[in-house]
Amino acid sequence: MTGETTYLGRITIAPKAIATIASQAALQSYGVVGMASKNFVDGIANVIARDPRHGVDVNAYEDHMSIDLYVIVEYGTRISSVAGSVANAVRFQVERAIGMPVSAVNVHVQDLRVSDTD
Amino acid sequence: MSDVIPQIDESTRQRLIGRYTTVDGNMLRRLTAAGLAWLRTNQQLVNSLNVFPVPDGDTGTNMVLTMQSAMDETSKETNRSIGQVAHSIAHGALMGARGNSGVILSQIWRGFSRMLDDLEMMDVESMAAALSEARETAYKGVVRPVEGTILTVTKDIADEAEKAVKNGTHSAYELLERIVVAADESVQRTPELLPVLKEAGVVDSGGMGLFLILEGMLRAVYSLPLDQPVIGVQPLSALNLDNASEAIEPGQDWEVVIDFHPEPALDIQDFYNHLETLGTSIQVGEGDGIMRMHIHVPDKTEYEPIEYVKTLGTITNVAIENLMAQMAEQSSKQALDGIQLETIQAGDIATVAVAPGIGIARVFASLGVSSIVEGGQTMNPSTQEILNAFENLPTDKVIILPNNKNVVLAAKQVIGLTVKQVAVIPSVSVPQGISALFAFNKEGDFNQTVEAMTAALDDVQCIEITTATRSVEIDGVQVQEGQIIALLNGRLAVSGDDIEQVAKDVLALAKAGEMELITFYYGADLNARHANEIADDIRQIYSDQEIEVVEGRQPHYQIIMSIE
Repeated sequence: MTGETTYLGRITIAPKAIATIASQAALQSYGVVGMASKNFVDGIANVIARDPRHGVDVNAYEDHMSIDLYVIVEYGTRISSVAGSVANAVRFQVERAIGMPVSAVNVHVQDLRVSDTD
Repeated sequence: MSDVIPQIDESTRQRLIGRYTTVDGNMLRRLTAAGLAWLRTNQQLVNSLNVFPVPDGDTGTNMVLTMQSAMDETSKETNRSIGQVAHSIAHGALMGARGNSGVILSQIWRGFSRMLDDLEMMDVESMAAALSEARETAYKGVVRPVEGTILTVTKDIADEAEKAVKNGTHSAYELLERIVVAADESVQRTPELLPVLKEAGVVDSGGMGLFLILEGMLRAVYSLPLDQPVIGVQPLSALNLDNASEAIEPGQDWEVVIDFHPEPALDIQDFYNHLETLGTSIQVGEGDGIMRMHIHVPDKTEYEPIEYVKTLGTITNVAIENLMAQMAEQSSKQALDGIQLETIQAGDIATVAVAPGIGIARVFASLGVSSIVEGGQTMNPSTQEILNAFENLPTDKVIILPNNKNVVLAAKQVIGLTVKQVAVIPSVSVPQGISALFAFNKEGDFNQTVEAMTAALDDVQCIEITTATRSVEIDGVQVQEGQIIALLNGRLAVSGDDIEQVAKDVLALAKAGEMELITFYYGADLNARHANEIADDIRQIYSDQEIEVVEGRQPHYQIIMSIE
């Protein structure tokens, strides 16, 4: 639980809420075609997570947080650029909504989706 | 027809239609080079359209670098078939894709080239098919496409191409013309589709970049110049004359603004061309039958624009201002107005930073500094000035960042002159001061905060570039008076005659290739365009590093760089 205390009381934000913001931001980023379930060993045939939040891990600390994203990227894009853009977009949207600094966004590219081969 | 298409007579048009019915690989290569050149010319325009404060670099710069990589790749290609050339462009764009817009651009090329695979030549049918495939490929790269972006523009031009071919367009030249018009209209529509653009009063930057690439291709067909930026008439309300006076350079002594009724109607291109012979910083606005022109001209020619405009219509109003006098007044006023300093409450820790320029002061303010003292290399603030900066703050815990080794001592003397608890972080450069502020927490424990900030000083390397005031030899580096020199962490490291070369040499010496972020504060003696050119050059070399350009406006030092 992430939270701050105001003079009226305490505000807490569940990691799930933060994961929702992060996954929405990631899915709007160009090159990301899905979130991956981080537990590959589950043996799910389809790696694409049904609930996009399953591809997000939020670690909240006292005054900052770090986010791990498990994404699937479109084959044929420059993966480093896509990952960089995702990290920027997620940090920006989360910091804007929550108002707490995001100290790290780790992007794990779990798979590529091949729509077309060249 | 849209005003992006120049007026040409019918016989020239027919000749172009006949000459460019198809496009081969060589032609595509030439067109792409033209698109890149035109985009590069208007790069700053595209950059200025960025509305998202996401640190993703600038759209214009990212698209230029992506296209540059595409061009580099295809210039190695000797095959003349359109399929081969298109593939090498797509490959180069993929390898050099930078930022969001660059990745999308590379996908557009990827789709475009796929349809041309084994073709020698491209006719209108294959061109339309390639554009459709570009649209499909671009849209496949994202789950939730945002409309009102470069994606929408791609879709609109592909749709237009399909329509045109159905309607019997049979020349590639004609098709390109229609695509450029469609792209222009599509870009103008982006604010209707994406509210954030409308709020900011701009069109989409990526879409604009794509339009400029296509327009550059068309301009090449018309043999129009590619090295002069887009000109245009803005609505009067959009004419921002306050900002225009910010970038004043030598030879811009007078600002002349004239309102007039043109009679007969004005040929804007001719008007601009003539104004360009008179001066710089040209802006033209239009509204309610009145035209307003704004220009900066050198001394003794301040009446020439008036004489010229007299020949075009009736003048209703003229304003002439002496810019040099204005500038002198501004700099003597030490204008720190408009900077939002951190407000603090009793018990908080306040920071006081010494800043050598207004731009750097802004950076400090954005990082939570509560008070700024102006000063630096040749204008060391006195102990009293530093004391005055925080005596009235409502807290008794103060941290001072001197940001210059000559100021550290004066700052330390403050400690004995106040009852407040004061610590001096011995920052000897602006980058060190900024680095220390990242460890600052106004609600933190005083001693821990001081410790953390002091430890952060060494996280950053500092480069200062200036002009040598005397000839000297230090540490084996020979310097002639008037040469450009670079100091690395306070020690003379490189000298030379060319500022760009000096900047590159000292970055190599600092092993910038092993770092992550290079921040580039350009001083009052360097204009924004030159600074951006140097930064772009550095970007080419350090493509793995983030390069940020900040207007520091510090005196004496043309460039201060931090590397971390």
